[in-house]
Amino acid sequence: MKILVCVKQVPDIERISVRNNPSGMPALEISGEFRLNYFDEFAVEEAVRIKERMARGRIDVITVGPDRAADVLKRPIGMGADAGIHLRTPTDADPGPAAVASWIAECARPREYRLILCGSMSEDGMNGQVGPMLAARLNLPYATQVIAITPASDPSMLSIQREIEGGIREMLEIRMPALLTLQPGINRPRYPSLSRLLRANRQGLETVSTEALEPAGASIDCLGLVAPEKRRASQVLTGSTREKAERLAAILEEKAFL
Amino acid sequence: MTESVDIMVIGICTDGRVHPETYDLIAFGRRLQAFRPGTLGVCILGQDVGAAAREVAHQGSVQVTAIECPGLSHYVSEPYGAVLAEEIAAAKPVFVCTAHTSQGWEWTPAVAARIGAGCICGVDGLTESQGRICFQKDVYGGKIKGLFASNTATTIISVQPGVFKFTPAPGASSGCVIRKNATCRSERTRYLGTSRAKADVSDITAAPILVAVGSGIGNQENIKLAHRLAGCLPKAAVAGTRIICDRGWLGYSRQVGVSGATVAPALYIACGISGASQHVMGMRGAGCVIAINSDPHAPIFNEADICIVEDITRFIPLIQDACVRRINNKDPRSGVPGSPREE
Repeated sequence: MKILVCVKQVPDIERISVRNNPSGMPALEISGEFRLNYFDEFAVEEAVRIKERMARGRIDVITVGPDRAADVLKRPIGMGADAGIHLRTPTDADPGPAAVASWIAECARPREYRLILCGSMSEDGMNGQVGPMLAARLNLPYATQVIAITPASDPSMLSIQREIEGGIREMLEIRMPALLTLQPGINRPRYPSLSRLLRANRQGLETVSTEALEPAGASIDCLGLVAPEKRRASQVLTGSTREKAERLAAILEEKAFL
Repeated sequence: MTESVDIMVIGICTDGRVHPETYDLIAFGRRLQAFRPGTLGVCILGQDVGAAAREVAHQGSVQVTAIECPGLSHYVSEPYGAVLAEEIAAAKPVFVCTAHTSQGWEWTPAVAARIGAGCICGVDGLTESQGRICFQKDVYGGKIKGLFASNTATTIISVQPGVFKFTPAPGASSGCVIRKNATCRSERTRYLGTSRAKADVSDITAAPILVAVGSGIGNQENIKLAHRLAGCLPKAAVAGTRIICDRGWLGYSRQVGVSGATVAPALYIACGISGASQHVMGMRGAGCVIAINSDPHAPIFNEADICIVEDITRFIPLIQDACVRRINNKDPRSGVPGSPREE
């Protein structure tokens, strides 16, 4: 089976801080460290498991981004993917899901993948749009928020479960070629092996400049950032760690929770 | 009455039952009209949607287009999206609004790509900036919100459920229903029904106090800290975020959030939880929220009554000691609370 996994390089969300500008509009401070999008690790792992189950196949991993984004392809190759494709953008600016989907579609169309896997969203933009947009561009059946994939009785189909609200799962069968976006929890991503990581360092990547690809149609502009609204009183306890603990215990007692 | 609308709300109904999000979307559409005057209509599609369409027309005082699709008794991305893409392309609304649920979030990007519309998912606010209508949504794990505007003639938006509240306009006239028929086939995707994720062995929705843990707990061993804290508090149970359940540190029956349980305890202690919108949607109804997190920018603090910036692995033992002392002072005969309570 020929599988394509779409991955994204994102900043480490835990290390991002919000700075208040004198203008009143907040800004983000990104420490400069980038890594594989958390949700995409599960897509890579699932592709590797499918390939192992079938004892044959090929996994390509693709990403869109500036020069630094090529680094994000190493970990998937370390986990078991065969090759990396870097669609290189000329600047750091996020081109948005519509452009990313159109470029990946252009690259994927002639390669005739049987299955395309994506994470359910990226940690930075939190859009969850590239997968469904890519499916539409390639005219593939698709399902999002997939939490289980098993072979179906018909070898051209996959049995899947997708999460819907309230702990309920929808059970579907989908005909390949198809596109799925995966939820964390579908598997436990493995650590890349050292030998494979070393191979990933030696192995060249296929690089395609996005300037050579057709520009996307629809676009969304980000006009700025705003601080999230506080929905509650948000009283901040101050003092030493012990003082805060004592104060919190007093509050719990006052409110009759003890 | 004209069939064309500037703001098209996609109503949601299952087995003939109208989902409440449909009315929230009408409320959102009315807010949108304040920024972009124009007509608002609702579109509902599926099998046997006539009664649902009449109900929405009456309750919402709106024009409803009921698209009868024999065979589409359940939502399936491909046929549902194909019918909607055709309807939207023909009607050419400026905005199409649907709920940011597993269903809405699935079809909106695909339909947008098919018809060349802009797409903004997970919207929870509306404003005007630089002369343009801007839609607000979470980015970077909810630490901050972005303001987004579209450049396209049609923009499709999925709106967070429960943010915009519908109130019927007094003396509003009843709406009307326009009927249409569509054929749809689901040749490549087969719907086989639903199942519950896991057997429900705990009922965190019934507990008056929840000690909920997120990735800030660090490792599986530290889950004991949460059990110890819960042991100090009467009838408290331990719950967790999705990532904790995905790692197998707690069972999925203890997951709070969109894909888990929706809870409304009297007290919710969020330990090491960042506060992503998917989690917050499940605990927003709590009476009192205490958030403990080492990251002062964690979005959970916007949802908390009391905020404590601390590493929970250091803080929980101290709060447990302080609670035990207070309990013993109240009633020295009581046992030693706070022993691990593996439920």
